[in-house]
Amino acid sequence: MSSSPPAVKETFAAKPPSVARAVLRSPEGLTGVILGAILLVIIVFGPMFAPYPPDQIGAGLPLQLPSSEHLMGTDQLGRDVFSRWLNGGRSVILAPLASVAIALVLGGFFGLLAAYKGGAIDEVVTRIFDVFIILPPLVLVLVLIAGFGSTTPVLIITVALVFAPRMGRVIRGAAQGVVTSDYVASAQARGERTGAILFREILPNIAAPTIADTALRITYAIIFIATLNFLGLGLQPPASDWGLMVAEYRGFIAVQPWATIWPAVGIAALSVSFNLVADSISGHITKTGSHKS
Amino acid sequence: MSGQSDPLVVKDLTVAYRRRGGVDNVVVAGVDMALRRGEIMGLAGESGCGKSTTALAAIGYRAPGVRILTGTSALDGTDLLGLSARQLRGFWGNRLSYVAQNATTALNPAIRIGEQIAQPLRLHLGLKGDTLRARQVELLGQVHIPAPESALRRYPHQFSGGQQQRIAIAIAIACGPEVLILDEPTTGLDVTTQSRISALLRELVTKTGVATLYVSHDLALLSTVADRLAVMYAGEIVEQGPVEHFLAGPSHPYTRALLDSVPSARERRAVSGIPGRPPLRVVLDACAFAPRCDLVVEACTQSSIELVAQADGSAVRCLRANERSQRSVRTLEQVSTTEGGALLDVRAISARYPGATAQVLSDVTFTVASGETLGVVGESGSGKSTLLRCIAGLHPPISGEVAFDGQMLAAKAVRRPREIRGRMQIVFQNPDTSLNPRQSVAQLVGRPLRLFRDDVSRGDEERVVLELLDQVQLPGDILHRYPSELSGGQKQRVNLARAFAAKPRVLLCDEVTSALDVSVQATVIEVIAAIAAETGTSVVFVSHDLAVVRTIAHRAVVMKDGRIVEQGPTEQLFRSPEQPYTQELLAAIPDFHRGTRAS
Repeated sequence: MSSSPPAVKETFAAKPPSVARAVLRSPEGLTGVILGAILLVIIVFGPMFAPYPPDQIGAGLPLQLPSSEHLMGTDQLGRDVFSRWLNGGRSVILAPLASVAIALVLGGFFGLLAAYKGGAIDEVVTRIFDVFIILPPLVLVLVLIAGFGSTTPVLIITVALVFAPRMGRVIRGAAQGVVTSDYVASAQARGERTGAILFREILPNIAAPTIADTALRITYAIIFIATLNFLGLGLQPPASDWGLMVAEYRGFIAVQPWATIWPAVGIAALSVSFNLVADSISGHITKTGSHKS
Repeated sequence: MSGQSDPLVVKDLTVAYRRRGGVDNVVVAGVDMALRRGEIMGLAGESGCGKSTTALAAIGYRAPGVRILTGTSALDGTDLLGLSARQLRGFWGNRLSYVAQNATTALNPAIRIGEQIAQPLRLHLGLKGDTLRARQVELLGQVHIPAPESALRRYPHQFSGGQQQRIAIAIAIACGPEVLILDEPTTGLDVTTQSRISALLRELVTKTGVATLYVSHDLALLSTVADRLAVMYAGEIVEQGPVEHFLAGPSHPYTRALLDSVPSARERRAVSGIPGRPPLRVVLDACAFAPRCDLVVEACTQSSIELVAQADGSAVRCLRANERSQRSVRTLEQVSTTEGGALLDVRAISARYPGATAQVLSDVTFTVASGETLGVVGESGSGKSTLLRCIAGLHPPISGEVAFDGQMLAAKAVRRPREIRGRMQIVFQNPDTSLNPRQSVAQLVGRPLRLFRDDVSRGDEERVVLELLDQVQLPGDILHRYPSELSGGQKQRVNLARAFAAKPRVLLCDEVTSALDVSVQATVIEVIAAIAAETGTSVVFVSHDLAVVRTIAHRAVVMKDGRIVEQGPTEQLFRSPEQPYTQELLAAIPDFHRGTRAS
């Protein structure tokens, strides 16, 4: 029993910390941010420190194991793997980010609209989503690349088309739970425009599943684009790209494994860091956000 | 007052929630309670007072994070709190039963009723074959489920809410328990259903002699169903005794304040809320109610107050028990309806849900005068909420019209002129879902100012929002808080502030108090009545609670199955209802002041 008379105070929950602070406070968020920051520094500034031009043939003897001269060894053409590795991250991160951003805007717009309008519009939009989803992604990409050529913009747009309906479905599902809320009805009674309702009332309340899904899609996109590059459908040699490098060097894995391992580690680390940050953001939003009744 | 022969004796029960950081949050302290054979003990209190925690701890149930610090709970001499989970399973559902608040979620939707009743019978009594079947049928018969034989094969969703609760009670009494615990068993059910379940309970207790603990926030209901009552506040029993003691006039200031906030359907009187908020944990070394009490003296805050037995068999935890404060309960004068044209004119509205053929509303016609408060009452499914949504332009009717100030309105809110949308504001039932959780109070209340109030410049918005918050009795420091940081009553007052921000001439209220505790409900009613009277705003007040309607409305409309059954001035309607349905509704309402006993 305490001796001082306890004061009866109105107790309010403390104001929730900002998203950024919450991410940095959670162990997985912090790990993700640190890992991501290291990779970002490598991807952005790495090329400046490349000891050799990435496609300089004969910078060393072919297929050398790592040495002080060539930190990651050399490839079958004697190119410096470390220099190629430093250059190879940019396309790995940019193409997936661009694809997912386009997919988010497209899928998000139609998903929200379908959930909010319901009825015939919902029916049409979801059927179109379904048609895109039943096409195997690789087949869709093959057809589009065969038709429009294997350039980076085509690659980005085709991947966006693969992802948009999938993200749209998730957003539609999340929004369906929110559109029936009284605060949406209240906005309708005020006569708010559809745009205002979608972006002020609905979107902020489906942020958690949307962010979590988007981050997961970025991970998929990184792997998917790496796969396309690996299959020779994306960037073409002699471009340096981690996906392409894995494809190119896997034949020599017994002789010079590091040429394959390092790009693979780069791709994996990138995916992991996105996932960790996404997890902590959605964890934070679920904790502080709309509370389930 | 607890004899050794009582089936369940709880002594000095103290319960805490474990918190991170090591310090336990004590939520129930020193509860002594005895359940007697053939008696219903009512445990009353507002949300968060620890009544459910007490009930669960008494049967030995420990929710995750709950720690029982001291006390015993003896079932015929066996201390349940000392038993292992495995040993307790032999008692639960057998000698001790628990009925949860919401039968819809307490019954497994994927399992037939018969099987759910059979489970405890097989497990504890080992019944099978014909004996099992006979007992199943007998139990359903006991709780008055029609055609018990065929009911056994049906699934929970094929029964109404009231029937589901009866089935849950049948499962609870299946093994002939000595102790039955009911946690808000009729909350959320219609009044007529509620009164039938209360009557059923009384019948079962008389017949089987089961010692029953009935937990509820509804003091009026408990006064009609229980033999003895205990009132909890901040984790302690502040007053307990026979129901007659409470009916004669309770002694503790909290119990009295709580009763003042309960609206009555039998007489028209004003309600008054209790200022302040209850503490969220047990207050040691002082009276927990002291900060909100108008009889407080210095001694109240200097040591803990003991529960003292009184002459009439009751016990009270108060230094100034039985002293009456000067706080008088006002009676509402019957405001004469403003004469003049109808402000809101609802003509022959019919509506149905999209895709459904059955009509939710048929031919509903009424008018609301300027400055008038119209109450709309009806049980769930009567179409009263849909009616409000039709008026607000959220649910286009299939036929009929709504006119506002002589001007015909479009069916959808978006198509109505801006001035009209501002002039008509709606507040919804559930404060948890009617505020966007991602917007601060300032944003929420400020939005209608920007949309509808040309007289408020952007720089002035914050000042006006603060004025509005003050009008609904909210402190200005909640301006930058988010809904998740507010209590239910505060959220509902933010909703009201937002509605009044647009300077409406008609306020549409959809069950705005039904999710709130009575003392909070009283405050919300006070706020609506005061602002409406001051600004001359008309109010359409939809509620399932006739007592609330009697308190606030000048005129009332009774609805059933989408039709208006009866309408008229509130007093006349309540004093001499003409339609049988209205009479039935009125008869079903428990009222503390009359103490009608269900038998």
